[in-house]
Amino acid sequence: MENHLLEVKGVDVLYGDVQAVWDLSIHVDEGAIVALVGANGAGKTTLLKTISGIIHAKRGEILFSGKSLAKLSPQEVVDKGISHVPEGRRLFSKLTVLENLKLGAYPPRARPLSAKSLERAYDLFPVLKERKNQTAGSLSGGEQQMLAIARALMAQPDLLMLDEPSLGLSPILVRTMFELICTLNNQKVTILLVEQNIHQALKIANQAYVLKTGKIAMSGRGDELLANQEVQKAYIGERWSKR
Amino acid sequence: MKEKRAIILTVLVTIAFAIVPFFLDVTTSYFGYFLFLSFCYTVIAQGWNLVAGYTGQISMGQHAFFGLGAYTTAIIWLHDITKTGYYFDPVTMILSGLVPVILAIIIGIPLLSRLRGDYFALGTLGVGEIIKVIFVKGGAFTGASDGLHLRSTVFESMKPYYWTSLFLALFATAVVYFLTRSRVGLALRAIREDETSAASHGIHLLKYKIFAFAVGAFLAGICGSLYGIYLFHINPDSVLKLDWTLYPILMCVIGGTGTIMGPVIGAFFMNALFVVTDIYLVQLHPIVAGMLIILVMKFMPRGLIGLIDTIKSRRL
Amino acid sequence: MLKYLSVGLIAQLLVNGILFGTMYGIAAIGLSLIFGTMRIIFIAQGTMIIFLAYICYWLFTLLGIDPYLSLIIIVPLSLLLGMGIYQALFKEAAALEDKNISLLIAIGLMFLMENLMTVIWTGNPRSILTIYTSLVFRPIGIDLTFTRLVALLMAVLSTAGVVLFLKKTLIGMAVRAASEDMVSAALVGIGPHRVNAVAFAIGIGLAGIAGVSLATIYPFDPFYGFIFVLKALISLALGGIGNVFGALLGGIILGLLESLASFFLSGGWSDAISYAVFLLVLMFKPEGLFVRSIQKA
Repeated sequence: MENHLLEVKGVDVLYGDVQAVWDLSIHVDEGAIVALVGANGAGKTTLLKTISGIIHAKRGEILFSGKSLAKLSPQEVVDKGISHVPEGRRLFSKLTVLENLKLGAYPPRARPLSAKSLERAYDLFPVLKERKNQTAGSLSGGEQQMLAIARALMAQPDLLMLDEPSLGLSPILVRTMFELICTLNNQKVTILLVEQNIHQALKIANQAYVLKTGKIAMSGRGDELLANQEVQKAYIGERWSKR
Repeated sequence: MKEKRAIILTVLVTIAFAIVPFFLDVTTSYFGYFLFLSFCYTVIAQGWNLVAGYTGQISMGQHAFFGLGAYTTAIIWLHDITKTGYYFDPVTMILSGLVPVILAIIIGIPLLSRLRGDYFALGTLGVGEIIKVIFVKGGAFTGASDGLHLRSTVFESMKPYYWTSLFLALFATAVVYFLTRSRVGLALRAIREDETSAASHGIHLLKYKIFAFAVGAFLAGICGSLYGIYLFHINPDSVLKLDWTLYPILMCVIGGTGTIMGPVIGAFFMNALFVVTDIYLVQLHPIVAGMLIILVMKFMPRGLIGLIDTIKSRRL
Repeated sequence: MLKYLSVGLIAQLLVNGILFGTMYGIAAIGLSLIFGTMRIIFIAQGTMIIFLAYICYWLFTLLGIDPYLSLIIIVPLSLLLGMGIYQALFKEAAALEDKNISLLIAIGLMFLMENLMTVIWTGNPRSILTIYTSLVFRPIGIDLTFTRLVALLMAVLSTAGVVLFLKKTLIGMAVRAASEDMVSAALVGIGPHRVNAVAFAIGIGLAGIAGVSLATIYPFDPFYGFIFVLKALISLALGGIGNVFGALLGGIILGLLESLASFFLSGGWSDAISYAVFLLVLMFKPEGLFVRSIQKA
């Protein structure tokens, strides 16, 4: 039995009476990039929210480094080493870039390293250093996405979860985003990625899962799935399958 | 089946209450007064129940409607507007209920369309205060702070008041009962659960909210009318005090907001509690009221009825 | 009445209004902080102010402690009280979807406290008289009451203190962040209960300062708290929730409004006008009078 960094086992999640996720099991290995892809409403965001503690699973187990995340609140989950960048970024728009970053290092485990984390953030995203005293709400879409990721990194996470980081970005920025994700991964950040942009996501993923209506339809290595006929037809379209 | 049982029970209880005056001298007995007051509170509480329990808006202006009802009755009599000169005149009472309805609609349209939750509660509070000022400043027409004095009532006995209040309490409960089971009630509950969803299903939010608000106002108004006759001296301090909002809220909440019998149970329970505390110290009962509301909200936010439901479902 | 009008009189009314209004202002700031995090209108704020005013009064009457000196006791006391009240009464309710429950608890608290104070301390109005409470300065012919000036000073200092706290400390930033987006705040590690408790504590701390100001300026009784919180709410509505300076300014505007209205109209009407203004602002400009340009989200 391998030791996975994150293990989700047989998880059921409900919104009130409506079931969104059915008996879902995935795992994330340390140092990997794992992609969750699938149509809207397939349960990808729900799964991330369940892992980070915003909602709680009705059934099943979630283990991080072997320890259960079951009863933890979101702020406790962050302190365990999982950072979740939600869909739509959700920055503190009325606070400055610097304030957003500083708050990123709020959890006790990250606070002593706050200054160093800030340096690292500025190295990765020089534009944030330039705009450090501007309010987050005044940044452009791409800059906001970078701030959101930088803020999440301030918590010194062992696992970084990104929900639709390329949403709303121009094609050039999308490419930059995915290059960034690879860079982070090279710096030893394990990444769980939820994406609508299936092509790019599968290209960089070591491991991927295709979700459909709350269940896993397919799983495998990123390049395998990319080459898979069904995946291509269903999600990527005929044009791409010729490449 | 459970429904039939409930209805039969209600009828029996009502009959039981109705025959009390034949066994007890309600004019002199404290118990008679206790029942009278409990019925009155029930009426106002049911009105609040409809607004808060079924549409989810907390109104803190019931005392304004209550006072308005009392004043309307007084003014109608003193100026003999209905030319009836007869003291227990349903026409006067209905008119006294309608005036608050007019107010409810006038303020309801702006308040309910723009304010939510806390803001709405504040808005109704503000309106209540404005009404109080208006009555104090109303000069001879409203008697200013001394208020209006009615000729002391022809009826020396408590019985007519007792039966009227019983009737009103039954009426109020029936109104809530029938409304909630009607299409209107469904719409109201949809609004309480999820406004946006209700709106997207074509439910005209404002119309229904105002309707509930107006019914609540009507109930408070007719109760005010009755109480005004009972007191026969109507002044701002006695009929426009915040207690007339707070106590019914408390009773509804303790019994169970959003249920049909909740306000009834709550009214009797709280009133009984007040009677008990009055034995020790009269000023104690608002303190008890405040403490109770906190405890109930913390530990049984669904009220006594909710508690009973929980116990029943645990036993299953 | 108009023949008594003069510049001096108007100036006097304005000054009185401003000085009194600062008390409404700091009460409003407290309300704003509590609303920002817990999303409820803490309607018992006024009653808390009265309670702390009573404490100030008793410290003076029984122990001879000067009101302004008593701040040393009252401010920490109110901060602790705030934290205690949050833990005991609002902690679980704040986490619920239904905000009405917290609102009802606040209503219950108000009711409980004002009646408890009436029973224990009677409903008679109280005021503090020291050597300086009747001290008045008369520069350029306008009466400036010493105690009101001190109240203004305390208001300005506390406002500055709160602003510094919110801007410069990490926990202050956390409060601001949580006020904007509680879920996102949790995702960066900010626990809702921590920020709620801090905001609440500061809210009551400000009530303590307002209480001391009130005790030295104006006679008070247990039921005045309700009227006071209504005024604080009006100030908050004028200033806009989330805007600390706005709340203070809102209070000052209200003070001015009241001062002028109660001079030109008889007492009761000025209250009615305040409430009417309140309703109008709530309905037509709920974000307050001082909104700056809207930022991109």
